[in-house]
Amino acid sequence: MGGISRALPVLLACVTALMLPSRTVAQTDLEYQVKAAFLLNFAKFVEWPSSAFTDSDSPIAICILGKDPFGRAIDDLVQGEAADGRKLIVRRTSQLPAPQACQVAFVEGSTKDVAKIVNGLGRGVLTVGEGGSFLREGGIIAFVIENRRVRFDINQTAAESAALKLSSKLLSVARSIEK
Amino acid sequence: MSARAIRTIPSKCLRLAWLFVLLMPVARGDDPQQATPDQTGPAALKNLSLEELSQIEVTSPSKEPTPAFRSPVAIYVITGDDIRRSGVTTIPDALRLAPGVEVAQIDGSKWSIGIRGFGTRLSRSVLVLIDGRTVYTPLFAGTYWEVQDTLLEDIDRIEVIRGPGGTIWGPNAVDGVINIITKSTKETKGVFASTGGGNVEQGFFNFRYGGGGDGGDGPTYRVYAKGFTRGPEDHPDGNDFDAWRGIQGGFRIDWAGGGRDAFTLQGDAYKQEDGEQVTATTYTPPSTQNVEGYEQLSGANLLFKWKRTLSEGNDFQLQAYYDRTNRLEPNLGEDRDTGDIDLLARTKLGTRQELLYGAGARISDGRFDEVVSGLVFYPLHRTDYLISAFLEDDINLVTGKLMLTLGSKLLRTNYAGINFQPSIRLMWTPDDKQTFWASFTHALRTPSDAEDDFYLSSFIGETPGGTPIFARFNANPNFAPEQLNAYEVGYRRLIGKNLFVDVAGFFNHYHDLFSEDITGGFSIQTTLPFPAPAPPPTYLLLPAQFQNDLYGVTYGGEIAPEWRPATFWRLRGSYAFLRISLKQALTKEIAIGPASDNGSSPQHQASFDSSFDISKKLQLDLIFRYVSALPDQRVRAYSTGDARMGYRLGKHLGFSLVGQNLFQPGHVEYLGDPGGPVAIKRSVYASLSWVTK
Repeated sequence: MGGISRALPVLLACVTALMLPSRTVAQTDLEYQVKAAFLLNFAKFVEWPSSAFTDSDSPIAICILGKDPFGRAIDDLVQGEAADGRKLIVRRTSQLPAPQACQVAFVEGSTKDVAKIVNGLGRGVLTVGEGGSFLREGGIIAFVIENRRVRFDINQTAAESAALKLSSKLLSVARSIEK
Repeated sequence: MSARAIRTIPSKCLRLAWLFVLLMPVARGDDPQQATPDQTGPAALKNLSLEELSQIEVTSPSKEPTPAFRSPVAIYVITGDDIRRSGVTTIPDALRLAPGVEVAQIDGSKWSIGIRGFGTRLSRSVLVLIDGRTVYTPLFAGTYWEVQDTLLEDIDRIEVIRGPGGTIWGPNAVDGVINIITKSTKETKGVFASTGGGNVEQGFFNFRYGGGGDGGDGPTYRVYAKGFTRGPEDHPDGNDFDAWRGIQGGFRIDWAGGGRDAFTLQGDAYKQEDGEQVTATTYTPPSTQNVEGYEQLSGANLLFKWKRTLSEGNDFQLQAYYDRTNRLEPNLGEDRDTGDIDLLARTKLGTRQELLYGAGARISDGRFDEVVSGLVFYPLHRTDYLISAFLEDDINLVTGKLMLTLGSKLLRTNYAGINFQPSIRLMWTPDDKQTFWASFTHALRTPSDAEDDFYLSSFIGETPGGTPIFARFNANPNFAPEQLNAYEVGYRRLIGKNLFVDVAGFFNHYHDLFSEDITGGFSIQTTLPFPAPAPPPTYLLLPAQFQNDLYGVTYGGEIAPEWRPATFWRLRGSYAFLRISLKQALTKEIAIGPASDNGSSPQHQASFDSSFDISKKLQLDLIFRYVSALPDQRVRAYSTGDARMGYRLGKHLGFSLVGQNLFQPGHVEYLGDPGGPVAIKRSVYASLSWVTK
């Protein structure tokens, strides 16, 4: 008995070493896969004014402004999705988009002059960014990492001034809501 | 088994651990999540709800700087997930995960816990809070660790502050602060149930149900219940007195009433029986004997919190609680009611300053039951109060780069007058990835009933004529606060994306430290200074008293690196160094010299752990720890390790197998029971858990 139990930790360590997974191709960070899924969900839980679209058939565009951390993951995710009778699409742009071109605008965390971008987007755009400072710069939803999980904070004043209606479902899952 | 075989295990394991590290580059860049695209691939993520998305673990805590990363104190955060993956079943054992904390198990239900030295059964200079409720007892000055419990799955995090911690923590935050914070009920919806057992952890169950929050803004709640029965540790004399069983239940309600206000109401109640062996000293024969029995422990608490946000950076919080504890031990009994109210506020002053201030009052009413004449608090019934206030100013000298924190606590208790406890802290954050800090704090531990009105006797022997001889610590109403001047520095650094290093150093200068002094020669006595059930026979007395005659320094440091080589693997290490050098202030005989403090804390502590997700379903966690010798406790250096294997059997059902203290059948961590050292057993338990969201 003594011999077996003494060997237990050694055995466990060996087991771990042998069970190292085999190599696979590195893909998008899980963090950004999850964030992409959140973006898709946001589109479903936000109500836009009709003035946010060119016409009743135009899609809901999720725009990635500047740096793109998602890669193909977000395209795969959004492919074939619709919300409120509108098709969802992904756009990538390095410049400030034209009015009505974007309904969701994602700004990557390391982007500079965030306040300028957010102001430039105007009404009818759900601005989504990263880190605690994004809401202070006028953004509507900010992703934060808490306890190794992706959470988000909401600035409701900014949502209201952008003429967007956020569903109570979205508000209830948010980590915190600023008013 | 031979002693030689035991000794070779740690080195074998270390070698394996290193092999483990060396193998690591092979795995770098691998992503086991990809192996099971049905679980987490983009297509699967699409079908998850917002709540489910919020529960996926994506990164190490070091990736995004947490508030702890940017604070000018030596803080370590044990997350709820760390607790779960370590396999521990008690809060004291969870504290082993933090560097610089000395946790030594005395027997089945007792621990000695210290931070940067001074570990004792009651941790007299460590402040412990559970959701803002202080669990410090003024009777013996410290924390009864065995009754501090909750559903471990509901713990969000334990913040461990080494050192005096700063202005806003409550009284007696001298050597450290342990802040146990449970999750909001928003995060504990659904059913959690687990049950299991093993050789020491003989059987347990945990249950929680959470709900509410319908329509977004409504109140959310949870209720929980738990129960356990634990077997005795290993006693060389075969006297297995320390079995332990208990039940506990509680609730919590959170309501963010329309955004501006947030309310919390929570409460717990528990009942326990802890087997113990104590020395019962009486002035009447048989003078002294070791008594075994079950401590009957019970208690309940209710806490209310209201937080109002006025605007960003301006808010206040009001908290009130009531706490009841009942203890009946084989040699003493106590019933205590505590009521406490605290106000905490935050105001922005211009763009560069933030003011934190608050005030609090506590009243604690204790009724002591005298069981033996050798251990008496007199008067038997007393009410103690404490009034405190604090002011702290955080000044941004250079916005985002250099911050100066000035603050002070003011404390008034019925044991001592007004005390002023200032602190000054400077923090420099040259960039997002580095923090330097330095601080000076003056802190003190206020006297308690244990010095003020405590009579503790011990039987020394008999004269040839048959007269009993006793030594007695007489109450000392002039006991002064114990004082500390602490000088601390620290550095945190995020290297690349995955390596985080935290280093801290300290130099503590103590004075007026607790001492056990002999205050005179032998004399013949026929009376006692407190009422006793029977008048004493004529006895010979050696008088003693708890006084403030020790002074000296402690110094040391801790380093705690954390490395996340891949998303599925985390490695952590820690090393803590400590030197204690205390002297007696007066040249008089001292009953127990400074060696007691000098030799009861480990000079070196080290740990190494690995958390590994072998697949989406299988987790393996290994912990190794080393603690150097405690000469004054006659405890030898030891190394031991824990291992946990967790396996997900289905969407809701999980299985885990945990082994603790695996390197040897038993090892001693601390003295403390009259019957001699107790060896903490190697233990194994298995558990099944069920979770719904």
